[in-house]
Amino acid sequence: MDLGEGYGSGGGRQIMNCRPYFLIGDLVSNTGVGAVVGLVVASSIGETWWMGLGMAAGMCIGSLVALPAVCFFSVLFGAMEVMLPVMLTGMLAGMLVGMGAAMNMLAGDVAVGIGAVVGLVVLLTTYGLDVYLKTYNE
Amino acid sequence: MDPATQKKWDRAALGYDLMNGYGPEWRWGPYKRRLFSTMAGRVLFVAIGTGQDIQFFPAGQEITAIDISPRMIEQARVRADGYDGRLELRQLDVHDLDYPDATFDKVFTSCTFCSVTDPVIGLRELRRVLCPGGTIGMFEHTGSRFFPFNLMLDLMTPLMRQVGPELNRDTLANLQQAGFVDVNLDPVYLDVVKVIHGVAPCASGALEPDG
Repeated sequence: MDLGEGYGSGGGRQIMNCRPYFLIGDLVSNTGVGAVVGLVVASSIGETWWMGLGMAAGMCIGSLVALPAVCFFSVLFGAMEVMLPVMLTGMLAGMLVGMGAAMNMLAGDVAVGIGAVVGLVVLLTTYGLDVYLKTYNE
Repeated sequence: MDPATQKKWDRAALGYDLMNGYGPEWRWGPYKRRLFSTMAGRVLFVAIGTGQDIQFFPAGQEITAIDISPRMIEQARVRADGYDGRLELRQLDVHDLDYPDATFDKVFTSCTFCSVTDPVIGLRELRRVLCPGGTIGMFEHTGSRFFPFNLMLDLMTPLMRQVGPELNRDTLANLQQAGFVDVNLDPVYLDVVKVIHGVAPCASGALEPDG
């Protein structure tokens, strides 16, 4: 059955939501949150920190930054489709940047870039998993 | 009537349209429209909320829509008045429906059984009011079997349940536990958002509560 403009089709089942508004929204929310988390974590964690502590603190800070962002972006772009990848982006970007900051490896702009790339990777991974599940209907 | 649940959703009615009325409804709209396009005969819609789903109902149907929250129903009434068909709104708890057995041909839910206090009892009640062979169509979000999504949903559930739904329910298993047969699903997003279909069994013996 036709699901409307912008819907892909795989063997009669909609495989992926291809409406540009949501694709752009997913991209902006994930890369944006990743970048902000990178900046906040890099400026919060010092080079004297033990690496494990930096990672754990980064993950917590990332989650705390992502939570209000989820509330905001959910209103615009969808509930679970925003919450799951954005929260994951916050956790992973925080952890990675926290590790780098504790090892004195990151400048602010690099941390922002790493956060944004983490957001992109998380988003593409969830898209891939979503397509896989719909293709094989597991 | 569960007063705690009613109070929770009365409170949630205030900002419900703001939180869910734009992005989520637009994103899920095509899937809901497709699910509800199968409405026919005597239809029961469980948890109408503020009536956002009414826009996806096919015209000309005879629908009874219930919700536990009078404030939600109050807000839904405006949208219900604009429906091109017969749409009756009632305040009822799905655990304790006052309809006789086999009243409805089809039951539909939309993000409902993430919030029902005892989902299996609620689903058994729906099976009771469905005609034998009647169908249930559910648009629901559930837990996930994939790490780290399952971890996140588990962690967020204690917080979310205070103000709204639980995020880690296994609604598919609950439906089977409630005695529905031919249960199958269409994924909408990952293994979290999905459309679930089930059939009330025809054999009278299978309608016992522990079925």
